[in-house]
Amino acid sequence: MEKIKFNLNGKDVSIEVDPSSRLIDVLRLNYGLTGTKEGCGEGSCGACVVLMDGRSVNSCLLPMANVINHKIVTIEEFSKSKAYECIKEAFSSLGGSQCGFCTPGMIIASYALLKKNPHPSEEEIREHLSGNLCRCTGYEAIVSAVILASKKGEGLW
Amino acid sequence: MVKKCIATSLNEALLFLKDGEVTIVSGGTDVMVQRRNVAGELPLHDKNVLYLKNVKELYYIKEDGDGLHIGAETSMSDIIADKRVPKILRECLEEIASVNIRNSATLAGNIANASPAGDSIVIDNLLDAKLKLSSVRGSRFVDAKDFVIGVRKTILEKDELIEEIVFPRRDYNHLYWKKVGSRKADSIAKLSFAAAYKLNKNKIEKMRIVFGSVSIKPAQNKSLEDEFIGLSVDELKAKIPYFVDSYRQVISPIDDQRSTKKYREIVAMNLLREFLENIK
Ligand code: FES
Ligand code: FES
Repeated sequence: MEKIKFNLNGKDVSIEVDPSSRLIDVLRLNYGLTGTKEGCGEGSCGACVVLMDGRSVNSCLLPMANVINHKIVTIEEFSKSKAYECIKEAFSSLGGSQCGFCTPGMIIASYALLKKNPHPSEEEIREHLSGNLCRCTGYEAIVSAVILASKKGEGLW
Repeated sequence: MVKKCIATSLNEALLFLKDGEVTIVSGGTDVMVQRRNVAGELPLHDKNVLYLKNVKELYYIKEDGDGLHIGAETSMSDIIADKRVPKILRECLEEIASVNIRNSATLAGNIANASPAGDSIVIDNLLDAKLKLSSVRGSRFVDAKDFVIGVRKTILEKDELIEEIVFPRRDYNHLYWKKVGSRKADSIAKLSFAAAYKLNKNKIEKMRIVFGSVSIKPAQNKSLEDEFIGLSVDELKAKIPYFVDSYRQVISPIDDQRSTKKYREIVAMNLLREFLENIK
C-alpha cells in the first residue's frame, strides 16, 4: 500500500492503495464514480477514457503509481461544464449515443480533440476517436456530432 | 511478497533494479494488459515492480552534437508533437495504437517490449538509433538493431533499464515507410517496410533497408545495403531482380497468428520492388 496523491475532479485527494491498482477500479470502487465504464479492460475500446492533465487516457491501463500529482477529470466533473453541454447537445440531436456505454469515453475523447484542434476535419475526428469503439451507432452520427459541436462550440474548448 | 517501487529519481530506480527480476512499468499500456486480472482486482505481478513514470529527469527531448536524445519516459504523444523528431518516426508513432494509448505509452517501452510486431523498432533501426542502457554499474550504448534477440527477448541485463534513445544525425535525402495491418487503429503490423537512401548526382551514396514483423526481429542486411553504393539509378534498376532475390534469402519470414510465411514473403518482396522501381 502507498499513499497516492492526485487531483480528482478539481480536488486534491490522497488515497491509500496498492500502486498497481488500476485507476478505473479506484474511480469506480473507491470514489463511486461509475460514469467511467469498463469495456475491454485492455486499451482497445476507450469506454474507460478520462482526462489526465487535459489529455485522453485509458483508465484501465493506468496504474495508480502513474497518476501521482496528475489531474484527473472524469465525466462526472466534465458534465458540469459548458463544453459538455455543447457536445451533449450535438450527440443527442444527431443520435451519437444509443445504449450509452461508449458515450462517457466518447465525449471525453471528443473534448480532448476539440481542445487540441477546435476545427478538426472528418479524417482527424476519425483518427482521434479510433481508440473509442461503439457497437450501436455505426460512428457516422458520432463524427457528425463532433463536427456540429466544433461549429457551435467556438471558443468553448 | 512482491515489492513495488515508485521511483522519483534515476538513482533510486537503478538501486531498486540492482537486485534483479523486476518488471519495469513506464506508461503501463503493455504491462497492464499482460498482467491483467478480472475487473476490480489487482493486476497479477509475479516479480517486483518498478514504476518509472515519476522520474522527471527521464522526460526530455534534446539536441546536441551527437543527435537527438529522447528520455525514456517521454510519451509517444510528446514525441509526435516535437518537430525536431525525424518526420518518419513521428509518422510511424502516429500509427501505433490510438491517441488515448499514445498519451501514456513511451517509445522506450515499445522497444523494451521486443514484440515481434513492435512497430517503432523498424524506424529506430532505419535511423541507426542507439539505446543508452544504464544500471548501477554504469551506462553503455548499443545499436537498436542489436537490442532485440528473440520474441520478447532483449540484451537488457536484469539490473538495466533504457535511459534514453539517441537518433544520430543522418543526411539521407529520401525516406520511405509502409505498414500493412488489418485495422487502422490498434493495428498490429503484419509487416512493415522502411528504407532510406542518399542520392547524389544520380548515384546512391547510402542505403538502408529494414523489414519489420516478417520475422522475430527486423530483418536488415549490411552487405546487401553496401552493394547499392555507387550504383547509378539505371544500374540499380537493372539489378532489381537480383536484389529482390537476395533479400528473399535474408528475410526468413515466419508463420504466426497475424499472418503466414508465404503471405509475408510475397508482400515484403512486392514492397521492396515497388520501392526500388520508384527511385529516380
Ligand atoms: S476498458 Fe479501457 S480501453 Fe476498453
Ligand atoms: S452507443 Fe452503444 S456502444 Fe456506443
